[in-house]
Amino acid sequence: MSVPYRYYDVRRVSGEVTQIDVDNGRVEQAGSSFFDKAVIRVLGDKGWGVLSVSGEDAEFEQIPDSFLNEAYNASMVTTIHIPIQKTPTTLHPVPAMKENPADVSLDEKVSILLDMYKATEGPDIVSRRINYIEKDETVFFSDCFGHSYTYHLCRCGFSVLAVASRGGIVQMGYERDHTISGLNIRHRQDLAQDAADRARKLLDAKPAKGGIMRAVLDPELAGVFAHEAVGHASEGDLIKEGSSILKGKINERIGSPLLTIVDDPSQPEFGFCPVDDEGSETKRTEIIRNGILKAYLHSKETLASVGNGDAGHCRGMPGVEPIVRMSNTFIENGDSSYDEIISECKSGILLKGSRGGQVDPGRGMFQFNAEYGFLIENGELTTMVRDVSLSGEILQTLHTISLIGNDLALHPGYCGKGGQTVPVTDGSPHLMLENAVVGGCEID
Amino acid sequence: MRLIDDILRAAAHVADEAEIFCARTESIAAELKQDRIAIGSKLKGSGIIIRIIKDGKIGVSCTDNPGTWKTCLDAACASARFADPVPWKGLPFPEMIDQKPLAFDSRISPDPVLVTDLIRRLKAGSETYDAYITSGSASVAISEHTLANSNGLCYSTKGTQVHISLEMIAGQSTGYESDTSWNLDSIDPEKIGEESAFFAAKGQGGEEIETGRYDVVLSPLAVSQLLDAAVIPALSGRNVHTGRSVFAGRIGETVAGENISLIDDPMDSRGVANCAWDGEGMPVRTIPFIEHGVLQSFAYDLRTAYRYDQKPTASAVRTGQSGAPAIGNHNLILKGPESDILDEKAVFVHDLIGAHTANPMSGDFSVELSSPFFASEGALQEPIRTGMISGNIFDILHKIQGVSKETRTLGSTIVPSVRLSDITIIGRG
Repeated sequence: MSVPYRYYDVRRVSGEVTQIDVDNGRVEQAGSSFFDKAVIRVLGDKGWGVLSVSGEDAEFEQIPDSFLNEAYNASMVTTIHIPIQKTPTTLHPVPAMKENPADVSLDEKVSILLDMYKATEGPDIVSRRINYIEKDETVFFSDCFGHSYTYHLCRCGFSVLAVASRGGIVQMGYERDHTISGLNIRHRQDLAQDAADRARKLLDAKPAKGGIMRAVLDPELAGVFAHEAVGHASEGDLIKEGSSILKGKINERIGSPLLTIVDDPSQPEFGFCPVDDEGSETKRTEIIRNGILKAYLHSKETLASVGNGDAGHCRGMPGVEPIVRMSNTFIENGDSSYDEIISECKSGILLKGSRGGQVDPGRGMFQFNAEYGFLIENGELTTMVRDVSLSGEILQTLHTISLIGNDLALHPGYCGKGGQTVPVTDGSPHLMLENAVVGGCEID
Repeated sequence: MRLIDDILRAAAHVADEAEIFCARTESIAAELKQDRIAIGSKLKGSGIIIRIIKDGKIGVSCTDNPGTWKTCLDAACASARFADPVPWKGLPFPEMIDQKPLAFDSRISPDPVLVTDLIRRLKAGSETYDAYITSGSASVAISEHTLANSNGLCYSTKGTQVHISLEMIAGQSTGYESDTSWNLDSIDPEKIGEESAFFAAKGQGGEEIETGRYDVVLSPLAVSQLLDAAVIPALSGRNVHTGRSVFAGRIGETVAGENISLIDDPMDSRGVANCAWDGEGMPVRTIPFIEHGVLQSFAYDLRTAYRYDQKPTASAVRTGQSGAPAIGNHNLILKGPESDILDEKAVFVHDLIGAHTANPMSGDFSVELSSPFFASEGALQEPIRTGMISGNIFDILHKIQGVSKETRTLGSTIVPSVRLSDITIIGRG
């Protein structure tokens, strides 16, 4: 080796993506594409040098010296010495799939989706679309210490969109499911029907009224809350850069004693990482335990400079350098039942489903949007409302969690950061927030 | 190109028509972590996308390894087997198009000196106000693409791109700015640095705002985010004809204030990636979506135009993950009555947290403000601590009181700041 490196690693991801798009009964697309991408990282005497290549250039068994040179040369612009931490390394086995999507013909998948499509039919439904995606990838990793891993993982899933319209009002219902446990599109007509029913019901739902009130979040939305309000702010790179309000708060109480939040990339859910993308062992990290901030999520670099937490949380898209990311993030069960929570809430709003969210971790502000909700009056669900969102300050809101349910459920999805999108799951039981700032067009 | 000829020749045996898109790009970047460059990176990428049409059925596949084009062609053919046929009227024939690059700066190359100089200038600008850099980046890219089809069309061009961004913080106040251009002259790192620092430094110590209805000035960034969330999807011919657009069946109706126009002008000199042809090789033209408040047209690629018997508008872009052509826009320009929109008191909104969570069908949104200020007398005055803005994106098109003279190019939109009346803000005050 000619370059004076302190560390290098290489990650090559190759595979095939299959997509099917059934739009208003017509198959608009059904086919496969191919990719082969590699990223080489070298740590010279200062900072990182990163080289991304694809196609023929990525077709190597042993990393060519010329690529190490190019990556090292790319590091010449860096102006700071970056220390990294040596980390334990191991490969968790990838669980066997119940039914390997690769064993099912495109023909059959298309016909299953067309069956699912039929279930979205109904009065007022004006548009229906079903998308299927299957990403089959082989990951090869090796580093300068001689660690080397190869694993194969297939992620697949689908989404159903139904649009209802009446009297100039247009509303949509959306359902999705993604998994690593094999083909998941058989016998899912119920979910497709749910999307259509929701779209139709939303036509009669009232616009939400904005203001400060008690809010109950369903497991899907509460999972997004855990992800946006806590997960991102606990990412070691943001802590290191000084753009998270959780910096310097280890062992401080930052939330309700009921609250425990975990990120666990080793759990075989949609965000599963058999090993992380810089070769570190993945394991359960308790970010918050009983309201006290216990750990940050780390890469080798951020663990070395920040401490307090675990490496194994570093992920990248194929061909892109990995950064600190969440994987399977969830709030642990409390002991309240759903009925108790609704009844205890007395007056407020139940928010259900998620249209996503965003956070400014430096400022400590987050926002997320529910697909729909119900007003809670006298401890009972009453009017259905639409387009309800919630925003808040992280440090303040975590203290306002007054009840946590015992019905933890995980929901797969995707998370974007730094221009990279990775598969994740978010989850939670139902939970109740006091004094939540709920957005809506109507005000008093 | 030999490769393209080989693929077209092979495709001729198995398909009625074929189209090849080959792209190659090389870029380098420097990333700031706090005030030092922590990462230097280089990217070399290439890809081909093959599309075939057989009996009106469209099949597409892509690969980043041109050496495996045979597998890719097979996959494109296999995919066409399942597609529902379109009343296909053919890929375009070659026209006398000037292939001179419209977004190429010959001074740009993957040269580390360029990115380190951009970083130096970003940092210099950031020193105008008292705030800390958390992260930032500068990158330059050079790319080329060739689009060829079985009708003898073969267009090639090359392009360049410069991108800079900076994130700063002061106390708990953050400031973010970025800029993208194809040429070095229209990128202003000192200004981007200064503005990030301004929003971080001057955003501190804000008071809460009372819940109520306000006059609001949205920055070009916020305007662009709201257009992206609901208006642009509603103009897509595919969404219009499949029942996913509130604009369906409303051509000729008033959908915005009478002074408001929304026009796609692919050749506007402010565009960041202008090209004389679209993603399918159709010569680009100006599309007046909304003129003086009246809905005039929708965007179509070939597939959608043929499927629904409409005229193609050369609106195909190749920005998606697969690189297959899909309906998009080139330079979507929002025009309105120009005025000094910060003269009268208003709530100025620099950025939105969660704009993508807006309801894309109905246009209803309710999102958190980022870097909000009270503005008056032509300038931003006191910062506002937090607040949520709620409304309907389609209603907003009727509430535009005035727009700024200056515009910003953000992706495929060219937008001014806009002043709106009677907008709901939910405060914590």
